[in-house]
Amino acid sequence: MTDMTTLPGQERYVAPLDETPLQDVDNVDESAPASSLWTDAWRTLRRNPLFIVSGLLIMFIVIVALFPTLFTKQDPNYCVLENSLGKPSPGHPFGFDFQGCDVYTRVVYGTRTSLSVGLAATILVVLIGTLIGALAGFFGGWLDSLLSRVTDIFLALPILLGAIVVLQMFKTNGSIWKIVLVMALFGWTSTARIARGAVLETKNLEFNTASTALGSSPSRNLFRHILPNSLAPIIVIGTTSLATYIVLEATLSFLGVGLPTTTVSWGGDISEAQTNLMTNPMVLFYPSAALAITVLSFIMMGDAMKDALDPKSRTA
Amino acid sequence: MENNESKLVAMQKERGPLLEVKNLAIDFTTDDKRAVHAVRDASFSVYPGQWVAIVGESGSGKSTSAMSVLGLLPGTGHVVGGSIKLNGQELVGLKQKDFDKLRGSAMGLVPQDPMSNLNPVWRIGTQVKEALKANNMDVAHEKRSALATALAGDEVKLNDSDDETFIGSTELPALLEAAKAAIAEAGLTGETAERSMAYFTEEWVPGSETRWRVADDLIKAGVNADKAWAIAKSHVTGSTMDDRIAGLLSEAGLPDAATRARQFPHEFSGGMRQRALIAIGLACRPDLLIADEPTSALDVTVQKKILDHLHMLTDSLGTAVLFITHDLGLAAERAQHIVVMYKGQVVESGPSLEVLQHPQHPYTKRLVAAAPSLASHRIISAKERGQDANALLEHRVVGEDKLEHSDAIIEVSHLTREFKLPRKKEMFKAVDDVSFSVKRGSTLAIVGESGSGKSTVANMVLKLLDPTDGTVTYEGQNISEFKGKRLLDFRRHVQPVFQNPYGSLDPMYSIFRSIEEPLRIHGIGDKKSRVARVSELLDMVELPKSVMQRYPNELSGGQRQRIAIARAMALDPDVIVCDEAVSALDVLVQDQVLRLLNDLQAEKNLSYLFITHDLAVVRQIADEVVVMQHGKLVEHATTDEVFDHPKMQYTRDLLDAIPGGKLQLGLD
Repeated sequence: MTDMTTLPGQERYVAPLDETPLQDVDNVDESAPASSLWTDAWRTLRRNPLFIVSGLLIMFIVIVALFPTLFTKQDPNYCVLENSLGKPSPGHPFGFDFQGCDVYTRVVYGTRTSLSVGLAATILVVLIGTLIGALAGFFGGWLDSLLSRVTDIFLALPILLGAIVVLQMFKTNGSIWKIVLVMALFGWTSTARIARGAVLETKNLEFNTASTALGSSPSRNLFRHILPNSLAPIIVIGTTSLATYIVLEATLSFLGVGLPTTTVSWGGDISEAQTNLMTNPMVLFYPSAALAITVLSFIMMGDAMKDALDPKSRTA
Repeated sequence: MENNESKLVAMQKERGPLLEVKNLAIDFTTDDKRAVHAVRDASFSVYPGQWVAIVGESGSGKSTSAMSVLGLLPGTGHVVGGSIKLNGQELVGLKQKDFDKLRGSAMGLVPQDPMSNLNPVWRIGTQVKEALKANNMDVAHEKRSALATALAGDEVKLNDSDDETFIGSTELPALLEAAKAAIAEAGLTGETAERSMAYFTEEWVPGSETRWRVADDLIKAGVNADKAWAIAKSHVTGSTMDDRIAGLLSEAGLPDAATRARQFPHEFSGGMRQRALIAIGLACRPDLLIADEPTSALDVTVQKKILDHLHMLTDSLGTAVLFITHDLGLAAERAQHIVVMYKGQVVESGPSLEVLQHPQHPYTKRLVAAAPSLASHRIISAKERGQDANALLEHRVVGEDKLEHSDAIIEVSHLTREFKLPRKKEMFKAVDDVSFSVKRGSTLAIVGESGSGKSTVANMVLKLLDPTDGTVTYEGQNISEFKGKRLLDFRRHVQPVFQNPYGSLDPMYSIFRSIEEPLRIHGIGDKKSRVARVSELLDMVELPKSVMQRYPNELSGGQRQRIAIARAMALDPDVIVCDEAVSALDVLVQDQVLRLLNDLQAEKNLSYLFITHDLAVVRQIADEVVVMQHGKLVEHATTDEVFDHPKMQYTRDLLDAIPGGKLQLGLD
């Protein structure tokens, strides 16, 4: 019977055992290297040239900001009018500006201002945005509606316009903090939206239900499970927005509503240099270049972070 | 019938294999340029009109082999050796452009996941049309496979190609009128005539039935041959695109196909989508249909209906089917020839029943032993296994004894849960007046298909959801009154194990932290004693201590599920609620986890509430069964009673749908 119906090529075949040795059912590969989300991300980052280049640049920028004296021995506010618009000379590689101040020294000292404003604004924005977004996403209901509408209202205000209006109102005493607070006031919305989305997504995963059934309280779930799992997109947007705050600070200082003129900043220097743009364009070039490199570094870092932490969005 | 079969075999022998795969090797390239051998030295063949099944667990290379035939290897996969011949034509090394010509018309695909394989923004009909248009199909005429023509050759005499013309929807009323007149003329009256007309109305589907069939039907009904052919010729003149689409969908088993064709995928259930995908796969009458786990995502009863229908359809069309599945029982039931794959290699192949009854390779033996659909009795715990050789026979007695003498630890009475549906006034009753009790130290299984309300019951027992009406009591106390400390105490004693092994562990937590979490929440022990407890628990679920420092993404589904069980066991609970705890696992791993659960029960006198859609699993683990349908309790009895003497039709349907359930094994 069997012989009659069996077709050529479909005879009974059994592979020799030594060809495919049988393994234990579902055994653990103990030799594989350990990996968590973060170690995996680090492994991806380490191999990404974008990360290496931007990482080195940011490291350099941070060193300049922390220890400006390593790079210049001069005082950025020491200006001699007779050097006004002087050409580069030994010890003054970038030349002098209209006031006779050393451009190189001012670029070096401006780093600290830009970086601290950007960093402080980002930290504040991430804190406020995450808190509001997480509360809205986690509790939902009327709280979500309320917070989301507030977010929408703030999102509808152009950040630059809002910053100019508010800074004009409090023009008197100027410090870094004023501009940082204003930027945080108008900047938290995008982080809040992302945090809300991430929390909503994580909230419905089964491990939260499992934790609840183990006896975990809602707040414990939020802080121990949901927030840590929502962090990746927030870090990505934080890195990229750092660059935008640096640009914003420069823009506001350029417009004259940002930092007081006594503070050395790239934006302020660019603003001053534009009056002599036709005769002496290099004075404008150096602070602008420093600003561009810094911003580019952080944007590149943000891209690298996105690749590593959010592999789904990676472009092929 | 016998005769037909031997004729088919003779014809298959004469024609030779339709698909011949020889020494196929497929590699995937990883990110760091290493080659991973997905398939090595695989050979198998498919004859015209034959069902061949490739069986294996996930990662065995079964889908990869099938996809290479279609030239649709995902990502970095590529064929590195061997040959694939379709009708004698070599497919290895073929350009995508040439594959385009073969796909659809020579080879069709029914993909695995009906939810993601239809474009949500296009009407179902449009998607069928796309398949027809891409292959320039003539929608007015049937294309018959050579095999079908040859097989039917003796019965049907076709005069010319127009005899294969489909009925058009516009001409159907006139055709039926003419048929009625012809029947009256032939002297048929009363019931006979009515029965014939009813048959015509049902069978003559526009875009599916052809002229010669109409003539044939009329002749069989008693109309004389000349008259029958005259009617068929004048009233069956060809269908439009829309008719053909509806015809194809109705062939695939969709009722009211013309209306359905205008609907969107979201208006279809999973089973209906899979039928639409079958219609698309067969639209251009391919010689070979590749069905990649076509029903794995569907309920068993739906699976049975769809496969029965597909079988009938491919038989009548003469289509060969390469059927990919992880279920050995299903494969043996459906296919004549089975190919078992393991770690990228073919380990055993041969006629289905022979492989099943006399497995020779140790892997196949393991598969047969683990297949739940083939199991005939409850798993015996390690403890009992050790006792004596007669444990197997005595178990039933022991089990019944246990059921009678122990008290209820969980009691569910008149449980009802309603949900508000969006945009609807009336409430939807997900669970409707369900009562049962879980006896201490025993397993009660709730069985039902998706939407039966079984998981809702589980969530109410876990107090993750409050009932609309009715009560759940734990140790005689109503759990809806538990708050604060009492609730925490309840949580400690009633633990869940969920379905999705990928979702139920926090990916940011190391395995140690995951298992330690319940100890931490309940403030048990200090750091050192917790480490000791976690390693003890890992031991219990037979995992090495080294996994403590690892993360969930490094472990397989079965391993994660064992971690979830270890976590549930951490607090020494009395009751474990398993919500589809083994449904997502491969059979061997599933078997392993079920045995583990069973051993733990015997050791710790645990009570299980086991939620599953799979009756086959129930037989292995449960003492009592509750069958649910549409939120209602349909049947409640001991496992043996349900399997041996099911009282309700629905239970019988479920039992019938267990793949391979009726196959005779030569094992014991």
